[in-house]
Amino acid sequence: MKINKLTFEVNYKNHKPKFKLTLLALIVANLTACSSLGVEPWERDLLAKKEMALTSSPVDAALDDHIYFSKEASSGGKSFGGGGCGCN
Amino acid sequence: MKKKRSLKLTKQKDGYSVIFNAMASPCEVLIQTQNKPLVIKIAEMVSKEVWRIEDKYSRYDSLSVCSQINTSGGKKTIIDEETYLLLNFAEQCYQLSDGLFDITSGVLRKTWSFDGAFDKKTGECKNFPSLIDVKNFLSFVGWTRVNYDQKSITLPQGMELDFGGIGKEYAVDRSILLAKNLTNDPVLVNLGGDLAVTGPRNDNKSWQVAIEHPDCDSLGQQQDMIVALNQGALATSGDARRYLIKDGVRYGHVLNAKTGWPINHAPRSITTVAPQCIQAGILATLALLQGKHAEDFLTEQDITFWARR
Amino acid sequence: MNNIKNKINVSKKYDIKDNMKNNKKCNIKAALSLATSALLGTTVIVGNVAHAQDADEWQFETAFLLYSEADRVTAGEGIIAGTKTFDNDEILNLKLTVDALTGASANGAVVQPKAQTFTRPSGNGQYVTTEGETPLDDTFHDTRVQLNAQWTQPLADNITGSVGAHLSKEYDYLSLGLNGNLAYDFNKKNSTISMGLSHFQDTFTPEGGIPKPFSSMLVGDSSSVDWDAEFAKTRIGDSENKSTTDMLVGFTQVINRRMITAFNYSYSIVDGYLTDPFKVISVLDTEGLAQDYIYENRPDSRVKQSAFMQTKYHFDDSLFNTVADVSYRYMWDDWGINSHTIDTRFTIPVGKKSYIEPHIRYYQQGAADFYKPYIINEEFVDEQPITGFVSSDYRIGEMSAITIGAKYGVVLNGGNELSFRIEYYRQMPTNAGFTDPSALNRLDVYPVVEAVIAQVSYSF
Repeated sequence: MKINKLTFEVNYKNHKPKFKLTLLALIVANLTACSSLGVEPWERDLLAKKEMALTSSPVDAALDDHIYFSKEASSGGKSFGGGGCGCN
Repeated sequence: MKKKRSLKLTKQKDGYSVIFNAMASPCEVLIQTQNKPLVIKIAEMVSKEVWRIEDKYSRYDSLSVCSQINTSGGKKTIIDEETYLLLNFAEQCYQLSDGLFDITSGVLRKTWSFDGAFDKKTGECKNFPSLIDVKNFLSFVGWTRVNYDQKSITLPQGMELDFGGIGKEYAVDRSILLAKNLTNDPVLVNLGGDLAVTGPRNDNKSWQVAIEHPDCDSLGQQQDMIVALNQGALATSGDARRYLIKDGVRYGHVLNAKTGWPINHAPRSITTVAPQCIQAGILATLALLQGKHAEDFLTEQDITFWARR
Repeated sequence: MNNIKNKINVSKKYDIKDNMKNNKKCNIKAALSLATSALLGTTVIVGNVAHAQDADEWQFETAFLLYSEADRVTAGEGIIAGTKTFDNDEILNLKLTVDALTGASANGAVVQPKAQTFTRPSGNGQYVTTEGETPLDDTFHDTRVQLNAQWTQPLADNITGSVGAHLSKEYDYLSLGLNGNLAYDFNKKNSTISMGLSHFQDTFTPEGGIPKPFSSMLVGDSSSVDWDAEFAKTRIGDSENKSTTDMLVGFTQVINRRMITAFNYSYSIVDGYLTDPFKVISVLDTEGLAQDYIYENRPDSRVKQSAFMQTKYHFDDSLFNTVADVSYRYMWDDWGINSHTIDTRFTIPVGKKSYIEPHIRYYQQGAADFYKPYIINEEFVDEQPITGFVSSDYRIGEMSAITIGAKYGVVLNGGNELSFRIEYYRQMPTNAGFTDPSALNRLDVYPVVEAVIAQVSYSF
């Protein structure tokens, strides 16, 4: 009984390699198509928009940072925490 | 020097035709509707848009953005989103053609004047350039030397941008977008042979489009071919009007941006069909740039096309 | 038919050498479709014929913000910043900030079931807090002016450097700072690694001088003859210094056409006078009634570290072309404080010229090791002065905070942008595990602080 079960499992597993190989081939094909993450220079249309900048409004960020620096114990993270003022 | 800009409306059997001149070509808008006020509205909108693009990107207009960039003398020039997108598009065409399609190659016109001017006696071209001439101007060609980002462009001194290869097709696509916004009625926009439709004609009939043959037959008659178009766009690239003959060899006006010389053994004309006009136009031009492999190139890409040799 | 035949011939010619070339060719149609939709698909603002202009101009951003807490501090802050880009991609940024503060701040003492009297930080005069109210000191009004300058320029292909200076001056505080940063782009500018350093040198000259830690707040008649001498006994100096050094390492990566991510790590050392000279701690008897108020004391150094990550994603038409901005920051320091910050923003275009941007921020921090909301008398041993560190400042206590707001921006004719922002900020201090004595049982020992933030900005 036990041996049969083992054989069954082995047989079952043998079907998988083909699928795995196909999957691997697809992944490799994709990876060679795009050698790593990122975009071509002509695909930067959306990324170039002001809204997609990591800090799309530096003035808002500066004002908010000042508020949170004064009212909380943490500061910085995205940019320098700094000394800056006598608020905290 | 600029032609007076006017529109001419003509009523046809089941619609209207609007004719105007832009980008040195006869332009035509066909609208299948009986609603005259709507036709006038569309006509004004399309012509205004085409003239806007011409005013902005024509290198012959000293006030255009193109001219301002070309006369910037190596200094940085601020650009808007539309120009940035067009430059991006030109960049991609440069990459896809391995550098053969290059919008900075316009400066070569200074040595290649494809006006068909020929010596009456020999029938040959009068102003054929020499190797040295071409080499000199080639030093000012090179898309990789253009530096641009979403806000500005820096074009080295002596270089020039030429939107001629994409401007007309872009105008066609923009006109179709605007027409679609205004109406559901079938509209065809044709700017000098580069055309697109908003969809099939009423009752799902196709538009009948005539493609001109580059040569006239012995009687001076145009030999046209009729193509049925249901949707998308059609663009033609070729030497029908602009060519030189030297030593019995016909040189088309599509130049290899790397060598500065016309492409060898290119078909006389290629007409392609694609979802948008700018796509069709670029595919036709890219095909021509393949010279004798033009037809193979288009076949491999699975594009519907007509080539004439 | 012909076409199909040709296609089969082409695939037969396939071999490893031609692999890359064929792949590229097969992709031309697809690549061109993508390029075309990029060109035509995006909404292009078509207005008057755009004219190219020299890049030799200043771009300005101005903003005015009003911060108003219910019953407490009100602050107004104005910024004007100018940026100029030079020929070789060099950028100069100058910024002027002016802010003014007025209103009342918590002085650290805990609420009591009876009225309490405190002495102003300057030593001149007293103020009374009614029973059941959190003690607030309203002598704060100050104006501050800050100047910043930043110069950025390319140093080599793909390397950008930046240096900057900072100056901030208020009545009792001076801060001078310098910063420098290097960034390296690689992988077709899809990846950027950067490193920055900054150093600030601050001098603090508080009104009333520097109090002696743990000394009792002198409460009495400030017009009496002995007052000045007695007050001076509680002071140990006029001014103190503080220096801050920050190091920031960042990595940004473009994931795809719609997505960009960033990861930052920062390490910060603060040295010097970190105590708040205006804050006291209530000394309570075992019942919870205040016997004394003593000046707080914090360590003379603090090492903070933070890990930060951010993602921005540009959705397509089906989600209105919204840009989502999500970020998370974890901070930890050697005072025992840990904090989590989650910040999300959604920029939703409205028509061709405006947008609306809802915003939610959630913040949560743990208390500093030496934080105590009050001290119970029996902690004194034989009336020996307390050593070590203690502070009742709720801002280093345990709390969570939430900000909810929205911003509306519109592009005016001529390309200038006007925007309005309004937010609600709610700080909710919580009990970090202290058992309140009986007198405080029906009192709000951890009061909520609410504020409204309103801002208008204009860039031209």
